[in-house]
Amino acid sequence: MSYFSILYLLAFLPLVIIIYNILPRKIRPIILLIASFIFYFIYSKWLVIYLLLSILSIYLAGLLMKHVNDRRDKALNEEIEDKKKIKTKYKNINKLILLVTIIFNVAFLFYFKYLNFFQSIFHLKNKIIKHLAPIGISFYTLEALSYLFDIYHEKYKAEKNLLKIMLYLSFFPTIVEGPITRYNEVSDTIYAGDKITYQGFCYGAQRILYGLFKKMIIADRLNIFVKIVFQDYVRFSGPIVFLGAIFYTILLYMEFSGTMDIVIGSAEIFNIKIPENFRQPFFSKNIAEFWSRWHITLGLWFKEYIFYPVSLSRVVRKITTFVKKVFNNRVSSLLMGAIALFVVWSLNGLWHGAGYQFIFYGYYHFTLILLGNIFEPTIINFCHKLKINRENIFIKIIRIVKTWFFIFIGELFFNASSLKAGMQMLKRIFTHFTFHSFNKYVLTLGLDIKDYIIMAIALIVIFIISILKEKNVEVRDSLSKKNIVLRWACFYLLIFSIIIFGAYGDGYAPVEPIYADF
Amino acid sequence: MEKLIDIFNELNLDVDFMTCENLVDGRYLDSLTILSLITELEDTFDIEIPTVEIIPANFNSIKNIWALITRLKG
Repeated sequence: MSYFSILYLLAFLPLVIIIYNILPRKIRPIILLIASFIFYFIYSKWLVIYLLLSILSIYLAGLLMKHVNDRRDKALNEEIEDKKKIKTKYKNINKLILLVTIIFNVAFLFYFKYLNFFQSIFHLKNKIIKHLAPIGISFYTLEALSYLFDIYHEKYKAEKNLLKIMLYLSFFPTIVEGPITRYNEVSDTIYAGDKITYQGFCYGAQRILYGLFKKMIIADRLNIFVKIVFQDYVRFSGPIVFLGAIFYTILLYMEFSGTMDIVIGSAEIFNIKIPENFRQPFFSKNIAEFWSRWHITLGLWFKEYIFYPVSLSRVVRKITTFVKKVFNNRVSSLLMGAIALFVVWSLNGLWHGAGYQFIFYGYYHFTLILLGNIFEPTIINFCHKLKINRENIFIKIIRIVKTWFFIFIGELFFNASSLKAGMQMLKRIFTHFTFHSFNKYVLTLGLDIKDYIIMAIALIVIFIISILKEKNVEVRDSLSKKNIVLRWACFYLLIFSIIIFGAYGDGYAPVEPIYADF
Repeated sequence: MEKLIDIFNELNLDVDFMTCENLVDGRYLDSLTILSLITELEDTFDIEIPTVEIIPANFNSIKNIWALITRLKG
């Protein structure tokens, strides 16, 4: 049951909304929990057991760590032994609990996602197990780990109510593709059982429609073109292959951010605030900025739980202290960041999938960010000397377009069937750079003039909304202040544009949820 | 506080750090600058900043950073 399916939008979600709203406040979170498990069961059947095991493991580990901390506090109050010794003793116990639970959870992820890949790397002759992974395992495992780390670091208290943890990890709008939430960010609203308000419902519904608009008018329209170019790239010239990479990038953004609109909109109806996952990524002036605007919750997860702990770890500090003595503070912090970035992007690449093309994708972005970190001060100095204002609109546009180019190449590898295919596609862009037959293919690979016009109008609408968002204008707030005729006109325009111009039926193939496979 | 101001002067930020209230959220302090700042703070004030304290709220203003230093020293 995809978030874009009629079953979800016209049956499952409305039914949950009705039942949720007619029942008393105390029961409402239970309704969300039951709905979440039904949703999960429809998707993954009995693999729901693995989700339950993860939930139970972090719940028990949280309580155990809390118990250890309580005993530590008691011992500290009695002041019999040395305080530092007491702290270390109990910290070590919690470290062990943390480690065991991490291994337990990561083992499932490894088994379902990476076992086959590593067997093929090491040429193990064991039978390759073909299995379906529990849906959303990459997302809920990161959420589970964030809860464990936070409890270990005593960022907040361990949750005593098992149902709350169950709802946190299984919440149906976020379980398939995120955003990757933190327990302390959502725990208050997710279990509050607030009544559905007219405003919350309208805002949620508008957001859902906007997601459908992105996915059905643009992403689904580009799908056939992208599929043909990526599967049969040897047939096409460089510009068509490059256009395929551009179209895939647009498709991916429209599909993933459209899904996030439906996810956040669905939660908004229940008055549950879910963090944003995108912030106008195509306005980025460099790759580092792109990653602070694209899949934000994943980036923040890696920053908080990998980047800072690795860069400030003892080993890295020892290396960088030495470097600082020999060189200076800037070189040492560059190196500190580079080591941590390397670890982050190794894991980030692997998180996206078990394949060499994903590992390459990770290191590609690592290299671009590292080069940016190294040369940024030089470029700033250079511009300063030549009196070039980097904030000038034309310079900004050049920087943005340059960033697009690097993003398109990255996404080419991301969607390639293998690393070899990605390399050959990239090579083809330059070695077969001819516009011969360009027009023919542009208009025959599942897209005609009408499709291009519809997409162009839709992209202009999205571009205008993005500019408003960039200027901190909340479009829905502004719309809600307009008179009722204009409001409903916008509503109807959105609905009818999806019905009339949505790419469904003969000649189209809807995009499968891309991130659900991660 | 003077030592902290000296450290900030060395960072060459594009903002008046004395009045800025969104050093992290406004992206004036990126990850690398934060790393450099942390090592400087640790060396200068003889403190250890745990990773769990590296959150925007603690680094969004010079006042908040000073409050963090004072808390960790205490």
